[in-house]
Amino acid sequence: MKSVDEPRLREIVGEKNIKSDPSDLYVYGSDASVHHAIPWVIVKPDTTLQVQKIMEYANQALIPVTPRGGGSGMCGQTVPIHGGIILDMKGMNRILEINMPDVYCRVEPGVVDDDLNLALKQYGVFYPPTPASSRIATIGGEIANNASGVRSVKYGATRDAVLGMKVVMPNGKLVNLGARTRVEASGYQLHKLMIGSEGTLGVVVEATLSFVPIPEFRCMGIANFDSLEDAGQAIGSIMSSGAIPSMLELVDSIAIKAVNKTMNLGLKEVAAALIFEADGMVKEAVDYEINKMKLICEKHHGKDLHSSYDPKERAKIFMGRKKLFPALSKYDDNLSSTSLADDMAVPYSKMAQMAGKIHEVAKKNNIIMTAYGHCGSGCMHTKILMDTRRKDQWQSAQKAIGEIYDYVQSVNGTTSAEHGIGLSKAAAFKTEKADSLWLLQTIKKALDPNNILNPGKLMQAPDDWVTATNLRYSVNS
Amino acid sequence: MKIKEKKFTHLKKWDATLASCIRCGYCFEHCPMFKYTNWESDAPRAKIITAFGLLAGQIKPTPGAAKKLFNCFYCKRCEAACSSGVSLTEIFTDAKKDLLAMGLKGPGTTSITHMNCARCLICIGVCPHEARSNQETGIETDPSKCQSCGICVEACPAGAATIENSFGTSREELTKKAESFLASHSSAKAIVFACNWSYYPELQASQLPKSETKDNAYEILVNMCGGRLEAQLLMAPFLNNAWGVLVACCPEGECQHDGNIKAKKMVANLQNTLKTIEIDPERVQLVEIPAGDKALFQAKIDTFVDKMNTLGPIA
Repeated sequence: MKSVDEPRLREIVGEKNIKSDPSDLYVYGSDASVHHAIPWVIVKPDTTLQVQKIMEYANQALIPVTPRGGGSGMCGQTVPIHGGIILDMKGMNRILEINMPDVYCRVEPGVVDDDLNLALKQYGVFYPPTPASSRIATIGGEIANNASGVRSVKYGATRDAVLGMKVVMPNGKLVNLGARTRVEASGYQLHKLMIGSEGTLGVVVEATLSFVPIPEFRCMGIANFDSLEDAGQAIGSIMSSGAIPSMLELVDSIAIKAVNKTMNLGLKEVAAALIFEADGMVKEAVDYEINKMKLICEKHHGKDLHSSYDPKERAKIFMGRKKLFPALSKYDDNLSSTSLADDMAVPYSKMAQMAGKIHEVAKKNNIIMTAYGHCGSGCMHTKILMDTRRKDQWQSAQKAIGEIYDYVQSVNGTTSAEHGIGLSKAAAFKTEKADSLWLLQTIKKALDPNNILNPGKLMQAPDDWVTATNLRYSVNS
Repeated sequence: MKIKEKKFTHLKKWDATLASCIRCGYCFEHCPMFKYTNWESDAPRAKIITAFGLLAGQIKPTPGAAKKLFNCFYCKRCEAACSSGVSLTEIFTDAKKDLLAMGLKGPGTTSITHMNCARCLICIGVCPHEARSNQETGIETDPSKCQSCGICVEACPAGAATIENSFGTSREELTKKAESFLASHSSAKAIVFACNWSYYPELQASQLPKSETKDNAYEILVNMCGGRLEAQLLMAPFLNNAWGVLVACCPEGECQHDGNIKAKKMVANLQNTLKTIEIDPERVQLVEIPAGDKALFQAKIDTFVDKMNTLGPIA
């Protein structure tokens, strides 16, 4: 039950690092998802020792603890459905070391992704997993969520870039996982287990990250398609051709219309467009990759092909993609853009069908859905645009989500490509992982026997999120 | 959850907009208040969530909730950055109107008047937003009109007009920041006062390693509107061995408070003063930077620092 020893927490983190006014608790109850729940207290530690003491106390008093970074998660990962303590990690925001000879940097979890990349830029290197929310996403949140983004098709996700980390376990003990070397052969690779665990196993208090050189040349191309199917097939062909894009993005007609409306980018309103990029240190090599992708697009009836090395033009195209998520809410003034069934991955050969399926399911259920994503890594995103005040729209959305994930699983796809599971996608996740759920639960129980870290998420999340959790919207009957 | 409509007569028209904010949080990065406190509950998204909660009856209109909406410098950077096109500050203003009607006043970042007011009425004349008026009870500010530019604070000869919750932008706080930068950096030469509109350093939430920061030649301090700059503030760095002070504000016609005109006069006056005491007037300069033009701002700073290098320290 709701009971937390505030004076004790105050003693640990100091007066200025704790908040418990109902209005603050209300604010910290949401993220970028559809969910909402009220925590009991918000604590913002400055040091590892403070995190250890908080965890020791919470573990002994059996109080839920939900670690939080930028709060940009789209599936309710940081929404505290069992109340308890919100551990705001943005207070630990120091870049500790940029070690060029050994090619790694060490950061605290509250460092913002773009801040890190700004610091790295002076050395001619970058940290590549960067998601679209990099202006506010923290490294800690990215680790918890195994974030990835537009360049992950070439450079990999967070899981590929983290060498090691310091983690405070639920009992308050500090452990060093992984290493500061490029390779580490043996053992259970526990740092990789933490990546993508959505704050359910431990609190990351420091991370050692690798980085790569910023390429000399970047060339971005665009191809328009009259059918989503053609665009989808072009993606499959590009990826199976051995081409190495540094970005391969799909946007459908709804997404194009939305970014045009909010940012006036003047993109041609076609059924689908592919944005592709190649990068490298030698221009000829970049030309080779870009031409290869252009030819494949042409083969699949791609039109209006053009490409550019000009940073301004590239930035303009890229900005449209980066701001797509918020722009979607401007598609229609009466519809809100919700992160539901927002993310999935399917094999390359199924991209075209997947995109078509999204539109088909939306039509059938009388809602609007977009198809876009980092298709080069097999990742498809959608958003459901609906009138959030209408109860029947929520029922339709729920039905559509079920149908979409049934399809994803029927073609051997997976529930989350990069946005995570949290609450919104738990039902599909549990179906997909049915035969290994007991393994996940065994690991959770071994590391967090009192179930205090972010309880009620992933395999523990309720199946029916519409009724089992609070929605952040006002829904009329 | 049914929407309670009876009390929030102004806020209720934003019902659909509040639902269409997708709460991505991309506005944080642009908010000077969030940059200063590093608390999410001070970021623009938090104010939108609070407004939604009030309207939906999910939270009570308490002083705590009101404080969130009364704390805003109206720099509108969140609005410019919002791709959902949410008119954030208009929503805050309407929420303030409703909260005022319920007896909740803030003051938050709105300016107030202390007892030592001599009723000279200067503040009423200089307020660009007609927020101040002479009442029987004294000089009153209408918090739904006040945009926290601070021009009244600078203009008040008695020091009676003040913004209590300054979030690091008061003269004392800025003076202290300048002092500590000049004392702790061996190659420190200049202090740059930037208004929040012409420029705001976008990426500064995280702390860089010491090796990256210890040797800067200049420090940028954000003072909100240029109209709020005071002579004492601009001269203080020279007491701590600064070589020069640069002021950045909006170009003519672009300042929503006309504060840039005041800043220009202030800098021109200071330059004259410097001349009379035989100090090169170019040690205090003003540059006009269109909203968010980082490249121009950096170029102007570099030129200024080069100039200071040719002048050297004040003998």
